[in-house]
Amino acid sequence: MTPGDFEHQNAERWAEYERLVARVEGGKPGPEAGQLPRRFHELCLDLSLAESRMYGSRITERLNALVIRGYEVIYRTRRGGWENVVAFLAVDFPRAVRSEWRLFWLCSAVFWLPFFAMMFSAEHDIRWIQAVLGADGMASMEQMYAGKEEQLSHLRSEYGSNFMMFCFYIYNNVAIDFRIFAGGMAAGLGSLFFVLFNGLQIGASAGYVNHACNPESFWSFVAGHSSFELLGMIISGMSGMRLGLAILRPGRLPRVRALVQASKQAMPLIYGAALMTFMAALVEGFWSAQAIPSTLKYTVGIVGWILHILYFSLAGRSSIHAA
Amino acid sequence: MAETDQLDTLQSVELADGVEIRLRMAGPMLRVGAYLIDFLIRALILVIVAFAIGFAGIAIGAKVAQGFILLAWFLMDWLYPVVFEAGKRGATPGKRALGLRVVQSTGSPITLGQAVVRNFLRFIDSMPLFTYGFGVTGCLASKRFQRLGDLAAGTVVIYDRMPQMPLIAMPPPIAAVPLSVGLTATETRALVLFRERAGLWSDGRRAEIADQAAVLTGDTGAGGVNRLMAMAHWVQEKRNEH
Repeated sequence: MTPGDFEHQNAERWAEYERLVARVEGGKPGPEAGQLPRRFHELCLDLSLAESRMYGSRITERLNALVIRGYEVIYRTRRGGWENVVAFLAVDFPRAVRSEWRLFWLCSAVFWLPFFAMMFSAEHDIRWIQAVLGADGMASMEQMYAGKEEQLSHLRSEYGSNFMMFCFYIYNNVAIDFRIFAGGMAAGLGSLFFVLFNGLQIGASAGYVNHACNPESFWSFVAGHSSFELLGMIISGMSGMRLGLAILRPGRLPRVRALVQASKQAMPLIYGAALMTFMAALVEGFWSAQAIPSTLKYTVGIVGWILHILYFSLAGRSSIHAA
Repeated sequence: MAETDQLDTLQSVELADGVEIRLRMAGPMLRVGAYLIDFLIRALILVIVAFAIGFAGIAIGAKVAQGFILLAWFLMDWLYPVVFEAGKRGATPGKRALGLRVVQSTGSPITLGQAVVRNFLRFIDSMPLFTYGFGVTGCLASKRFQRLGDLAAGTVVIYDRMPQMPLIAMPPPIAAVPLSVGLTATETRALVLFRERAGLWSDGRRAEIADQAAVLTGDTGAGGVNRLMAMAHWVQEKRNEH
């Protein structure tokens, strides 16, 4: 059989296959779409045949392109609906955090140790805090938290400023989570750096307010969103460290394959962290700065922490759906 | 065929269906072009959004307008490539314009998670100082032009539409000459490719290449060329006759 004969004999089948693929690609599969897998398999055989009989690159390139197109539509991943989101929140996410408990404690330590060291230095040697915040940082802390508790809600009195701050927290804080994750690619050093830096910065701010401003105006502001935001950051640190550890300690896998596997494991962590930081932005935008009695704000903050602890220690434990 | 021996950018992938497909990897230059197109599109969208919301700001308030602009910026910065690459086409508009597509290194379409990983790790690839130094280094150091984000996600950027190899037909050979000795698959492929590409070369170049196979043809110069063409003709058209 000459290449021409081969092409001529099969032209109709190939055209029919191409029509099917084009229809599926266009989103209108039609009733004949069920034939696609069989036709795809036939085309694979044609390609093998053309390759082994050396029918020349014009035919093989055409068949190769057709096979790739069919492969792309047949093996397209189906996006899950809302039940996937529910399963993620109820089972997959808390499980992923629990299964990485070592990284959780590591990232927690990297955040909380510098945080408390800074708080401690407020009582004993304020120069550490001065070094971290700098003159501008201290001035802006004083501007926000030096006065009465109502000062922050006055800053938000202009129409729409709550919404603006909500958007700003998404733009800024969710992006920080993503950078912490990406920093894992630098053998985990980037993630550790960002988490440590935030621990220092937040600890220094809190310590400085305790030392020089009105602590109640600060603590009543941060109480509400603190659990979402700080745990979200720690969890994005975990996702970055998952990548970093794959580079440092690939185990028995080649480094690149360990990295691919680790990035899959890190996915629920980074999704969850982004969601928590989004929630934090909601709370911080629309609740934390409102003129609400401090006791109520403290209560909401403490309830938030308790709910988070319960969620991460209990949720998804008894589910029969294995992750 | 050992992978290290090859000079072109084709990667063979074996599918579960038992057939090998060849993916043509896209190099860094073309991807920089796609990135620039995407950059312009994103900048344009942001400018339009800023204008539109700026006007609407009279009605919805300046602060609300500022908020929407920040939100649009965040979406363009982080989610624009993820949404397009996880979508049906597997490519951002810039990549589509240049005929590129992102697939798994096995050739199948990428998942949402892979789109997230490869695009969030852009943050590292774009370092130092947004020069994409790490990304380009990764591309040049890896076998399949993968930047760090691609390595971690297990993805590659390929030509969606294979650029057609220019073919100029030669007059068909008069005779079909059976091969005098058995050739390996690679050698036979070289023979067929010689026939396909011969139209692109001058007579002198053809003879120069054919002389390399003088042992097979037993002739040099124009005679060797004719004999090689006749052998390729036999391989393609007559060998499979029953």
